[in-house]
Amino acid sequence: MSTEKKSFSRRKFLQRGAIVFGGTVVASYLGCSPLRRFTAQKAESMDLPAMMSSLQPDFWFEVLPDNTISLKSPKIEIGQGVFTGLAMLAAEELDVPYEQIKVEHANTKSGLIDEMNTGGSSSTASLYEPIREVAATMREMLKEAAAKKWGVKASEINTENGTLLSGNNKITYAEIAKENKNWDIPKTPKLRPKSAFKVVGKSVKRTDLKAKVMGTAKYTLDSELPDMLYAVLLQSPYLDGTIKTLDTKEAEKSTGVVKVVREGELVAVVAKTFYAADSAFKKINVEWNTPNKVQQADLIKFVTVGNGKEVNIQKEGNAKSIIEDNKATVFKQEYRTPMAAHAQMEVNAAIAHVEADKALIIAGTQGPKIVIDTVSKALNLDKDKIEVQTPLVGGGFGRKAVKGLYVEAALISKAVGKPVKLYNSRQQEFQNSLYRPNTHHVLQAKIGQNGEIEAITHDQATPDMLKNLMGTGLPNKILGADFISAGHGASLMYNFKNKSVSVWNAEVPIPIGIWRGVGMFPNAFAIESFMNELAHQTKKDPIAFRIGLLQNDDKISVRSKKVLETLIEKSGWKTPKAEGIGRGVAIGNDRKSIAATAIELAIVEEKIVVKKVTQVLDCGISINPEGIKQQMEGATMMGIGAALYEEATVKDGQIEQAYFSQYPMVSLTDVPEIQCFILEGDDIPYGVGEPPLAPIAPAIAGAVLDLTGKAIRSLPIKLS
Amino acid sequence: MKIDFKINGKPTSIDVDPAMPLLWVVRDELKLTATKFGCGMAMCGACTLHIDGEATRSCSVPVESIAGKNITTLEGLSESAENLHPIQQAWIEEQVPQCGYCQSGFMMAAAKLLEEKPNPSDDDIKNGITNICRCGTHPRIIKAIKRAAEINNQNH
Repeated sequence: MSTEKKSFSRRKFLQRGAIVFGGTVVASYLGCSPLRRFTAQKAESMDLPAMMSSLQPDFWFEVLPDNTISLKSPKIEIGQGVFTGLAMLAAEELDVPYEQIKVEHANTKSGLIDEMNTGGSSSTASLYEPIREVAATMREMLKEAAAKKWGVKASEINTENGTLLSGNNKITYAEIAKENKNWDIPKTPKLRPKSAFKVVGKSVKRTDLKAKVMGTAKYTLDSELPDMLYAVLLQSPYLDGTIKTLDTKEAEKSTGVVKVVREGELVAVVAKTFYAADSAFKKINVEWNTPNKVQQADLIKFVTVGNGKEVNIQKEGNAKSIIEDNKATVFKQEYRTPMAAHAQMEVNAAIAHVEADKALIIAGTQGPKIVIDTVSKALNLDKDKIEVQTPLVGGGFGRKAVKGLYVEAALISKAVGKPVKLYNSRQQEFQNSLYRPNTHHVLQAKIGQNGEIEAITHDQATPDMLKNLMGTGLPNKILGADFISAGHGASLMYNFKNKSVSVWNAEVPIPIGIWRGVGMFPNAFAIESFMNELAHQTKKDPIAFRIGLLQNDDKISVRSKKVLETLIEKSGWKTPKAEGIGRGVAIGNDRKSIAATAIELAIVEEKIVVKKVTQVLDCGISINPEGIKQQMEGATMMGIGAALYEEATVKDGQIEQAYFSQYPMVSLTDVPEIQCFILEGDDIPYGVGEPPLAPIAPAIAGAVLDLTGKAIRSLPIKLS
Repeated sequence: MKIDFKINGKPTSIDVDPAMPLLWVVRDELKLTATKFGCGMAMCGACTLHIDGEATRSCSVPVESIAGKNITTLEGLSESAENLHPIQQAWIEEQVPQCGYCQSGFMMAAAKLLEEKPNPSDDDIKNGITNICRCGTHPRIIKAIKRAAEINNQNH
């Protein structure tokens, strides 16, 4: 078995690419994008083995005989539209229509995966420069080849629509790629400036639309291997449950059953069809040991500021002592956010074919590298013997970052010696999962005579989100608390003279995962709700109150102020409200993407009805504005659901929600009027998928406060 | 048990357990994978297809009940890839799908809704379709159904 070097190396953060002409790699590329550089600097002192350690090319360009360009993407298409964005970036330098660039997932057979997870709204931003640099290099190589052929200078050649042109000479990329044998590799050409962009920044149609409306798009559940069997895996409906008694006799006799696999706690029915496997599975009699007896009240107790280890992550002035000295008069509020499920529409699924010295895994995952690492370990098979193919992913939201069913599928395949397809039932998906953890927040402010905020503190108690992502508790041991993921967004962006923020590490007996926006969701709810309450308390307009605290000339403050000013204008913030309407606002800085929301709502028969949502997002350079709007609308809907309905709870060591009917989410009836506005306040792109989500819940809470005078301090919002 | 029916216009005969849900017959036996598994309990609508023109959640329909009937799945909704159903055209125009997984079921439900209500209001759409989408494509689904109604009206 290969061993992995554990120490951090800056080299691992280099971005690698390959250029292929006539089926052969003719050039490789090495670069380091700003985002990677940032990650490298941040991560230098840590051990981050599972997430990032890349020695392989990250992406791959190939000119195909039909003059289309194949781009193997290291980033996973989970619905966020990344394939379209990457095609646009490549088209910008390659001078081909973006539709002519066929983007698909890289697979590990050719050694082409990005070893970072797809997540953190970082995909397009991280590849913004490298993709264009490789595309530009490729263009110049094609020009050099044509120049040699025609006896002209490369500078006399134009590129257009996948064709090289000079005087009367004309040849397609595919023709010259086939013909030419010796390639010169030029220095990376200077990238075209933003002012010259022809595609980037224009709203275009997603490249996957037709497949998705024709039903030909293939997800893991739609994939097949020859001679494949189907498996249903026995999974405890109790947290940490283990098998006490098991009777599989009836299941074994059931029609179509090939084998009931039992290896320790791994029990699976394998049959010729899913229906046969599932029918047999229902005949299994099992009793569980249920060592985990955690109750909802325990979770609340475990996740409470003051319990566990405190890590101070932001300190300016002496906020803590000012708050301490004015204990009797400080404005202090507590907020809680609930545990939640991902409930993505496509359950976790995997197809595995394990043979003596190799394994093939087909799995819709946000992290192919984690598939390799975990399957390699489980099978005791070298990593380079494991091929991972990633079909389209039917929703991720963080759930498909880790803990898919690939390890189990591999073990079952090994046990029966055939390819096996395995997927969760919806009940298993709900009850054997990873959850967004519940959080607790205490915010305190010393309000001066004139209503000025003299000091402010924020304490967040949260379980660790990184533990499962990294497959190790190590980061937590170094960091003390997970302020990277779970504590993301805990810091205060506003210009308070005295401010202090701490993240408290809470231990809970619940498997914790990352959920769209990670810590931004709970932190924005707590901080922005407190901001709304402070404005209410000091009788200030909540937007003007925020703008007053964003008067610094650093980029984030300037951009945030602009976003809020735009929000005032676009939402009609200063126009009179209709009868029975409440207005609320919230803003967040999510890894330099600034998203702000204004919400209008009414209360109808004691139920909150969101009427109008105005979203303003400054995500730096926008690649595909229409794609960004899709994400803003999607985040709005998911945010409304998270604010009004969603909550996972635990009872007697069991997640109580097993079906969609027990876990209400948004539906068509919740759709408000949504307006989305995009600002370009910076000259590089930032994330889009997560930032617009976090402000929704506090903006709704703020609107309820505006309408009723009642402050909302926990989610989901319950009016009575 | 041998069961005869038509799927997407094609006479079909299969010999399976009569209790087998139609969803698995369509997906695993007939290899028509546009119809998706979402929950298996008729709660999410990902498996919606048409049985004799009625939008039905196929995960909870035993295959024996469709003997002699006409089944239409998303694969059979349009005549060809060049001549898409107005719902599919509108879905492309309005750029509805994100992850795309739930969209087959939504499109099949929407196609039926349009037959019953050629000019649906927002409320008709909101109350008429209870499928679940997690990416939050709901606002575009409403727009697309109204756009499909326009396309239909132009065609007639």
